[in-house]
Amino acid sequence: MSALFAFARFELVRLLRSWKFLAITVGFPVVFYMLFLGERSSGQIVDGTVPWRVYLMVSMCTFGSLVAALNAGGSRLATERSTGWARQLRITPMPAWSYVATKVTASMLVVLPVLALVELVGLTFGGVRLGVVQWFALTGLLWVTALPFALLGVFVGFMVNAETAYPVVTALMFVLGYFGGLFNPVSQMPQALQSAAKALPSFHHALLALEFLSGQTLGAGNWLILSGYTIVLGMALLWKHRVEESRGLA
Amino acid sequence: MSIAQITHALNSDRNGSPVSSDSAGSPRADSLGGDWALRFDGVVRRYGRHLALDHLDFQVRRGETLALLGPNGAGKSTTISLLLGLLRPHEGTVEVLGTTARGAVGQGRVGAMLQTGSGSGLPPGVKVSEALALVQRLYRSPASFETTVERSGISSLLGCRTNQLSGGEAQRVRFALAIAGDPELVFLDEPTVAMDVDGRRTFWRMMRQFSQEGRTIVFATHHLEEADQIADRVVVINHGRVVADGPGATLKAAVAARHLRFVVTDPDPDRYDRLEGVTDVEIYGTGVTLISLDADATARDLVRANIAFRDLEVTGACMEDAFVALTESKRNPSDETTQ
Repeated sequence: MSALFAFARFELVRLLRSWKFLAITVGFPVVFYMLFLGERSSGQIVDGTVPWRVYLMVSMCTFGSLVAALNAGGSRLATERSTGWARQLRITPMPAWSYVATKVTASMLVVLPVLALVELVGLTFGGVRLGVVQWFALTGLLWVTALPFALLGVFVGFMVNAETAYPVVTALMFVLGYFGGLFNPVSQMPQALQSAAKALPSFHHALLALEFLSGQTLGAGNWLILSGYTIVLGMALLWKHRVEESRGLA
Repeated sequence: MSIAQITHALNSDRNGSPVSSDSAGSPRADSLGGDWALRFDGVVRRYGRHLALDHLDFQVRRGETLALLGPNGAGKSTTISLLLGLLRPHEGTVEVLGTTARGAVGQGRVGAMLQTGSGSGLPPGVKVSEALALVQRLYRSPASFETTVERSGISSLLGCRTNQLSGGEAQRVRFALAIAGDPELVFLDEPTVAMDVDGRRTFWRMMRQFSQEGRTIVFATHHLEEADQIADRVVVINHGRVVADGPGATLKAAVAARHLRFVVTDPDPDRYDRLEGVTDVEIYGTGVTLISLDADATARDLVRANIAFRDLEVTGACMEDAFVALTESKRNPSDETTQ
């Protein structure tokens, strides 16, 4: 167990030391947040339930989770697999599954400070006022439901090579961000796009948090779709890992 | 020089007795009990339709340093991947340290330096010392940090970032990672490929020191010189089969073998066999070819024995020729030597 802990810490240190990673994961959500902040009156009601300022903070939390998780896996993982480091680990006594598990864990762990940072912007500039318990509950909810993003990032890192990973991650970031209704409420999108949005995990990730903040019961459908993504991506990752094992690439 | 002649020379020493019980076509290793570090038994591995290993058999004793010699694409890297459990055989069995390949790796008794292509094989964005410390923690009973640093000669590199190393430096660090767990068995896949002459020399000196502590080393190379100088035994593989198997000295002797060709009116094979240095005799009509490990002695003996030869011609296979002969044949030598 101490070996796994050492590996997880090693991964985390590597992530937090990478300027490129930090610039993207911190920069994107915070800069977008600031840009969108002045766009509308913060009290304007969005989707008939929540004020713009709350919608915006939650959306940027979702976007931040997405960016952090996709970049923690994604091209970093693809790159280190191409250098042969992953194979070197594979011939240590560390069990095969723990490489994948540690990658997912590390991705989840970097989501947490990004959430805290976006919430801090919400508190200081965004005019969001919540009770202490609500802040913690909101953070916990956003964090747990970010699992499909972490799985997706690691899956992409396994599927693509070092050269194609970067554009794929960028595309996913903006497709899930824009079409998931994080930059603009889904209700203001054309009808065709609205139904597409409702199939994306990013939409449901944000919606759960909005339901929580507006005091509604959390929608079973949102949970169902997020769980579906988690199971499908988890299984896809297992499958990919198995295939690589049998080919001697993992 | 034909493949049969070279394998003949490799599989027997100067007195014609078998060199080792584990050479192709010799008594099986089973009789010697648990003295084997690893055994490859009839291993077949395919990549799609391509047959990478074609019933490969060889064994390595504990404490032995073995070179896997062969050209690119011969099956060396596939062999090492199977020995590490990175690949599974389609047929046959692979036994490592008395257990399965994955078992031995899981117990932390095996270390390896694999080929990494263009990559460094090291994690980007950390110091060498951090990478080494991590790998050590993944083993249950690793060598101490200081010991590993000393064995691999990387003390001056510890503070460097892994992405700032030269090719040769990265190789040394990867060697440190390979031995960090204090393994009984080490696999090295073309370990000196990015090193200059000095680097190679230093590397093999460290390697030899490491192997003197009773460890088993298996390394792949396509340098005949390297195999000859470093290994106790050389297994030559090509097209996924063992082409030759013998000690480095015998390999070198085989490479140094000369052909003595002459014509006699009435060839008598029994007479030529006894001549000094002769390992093999071929007769076609009145033409005789003697394969000799000492051409001068054979020539003197020819005269002494009053053999009425004409048109004597001595030719030698240079190292490269012998290597090409050894590795470019698709034929199975064990079929020929047992005939």
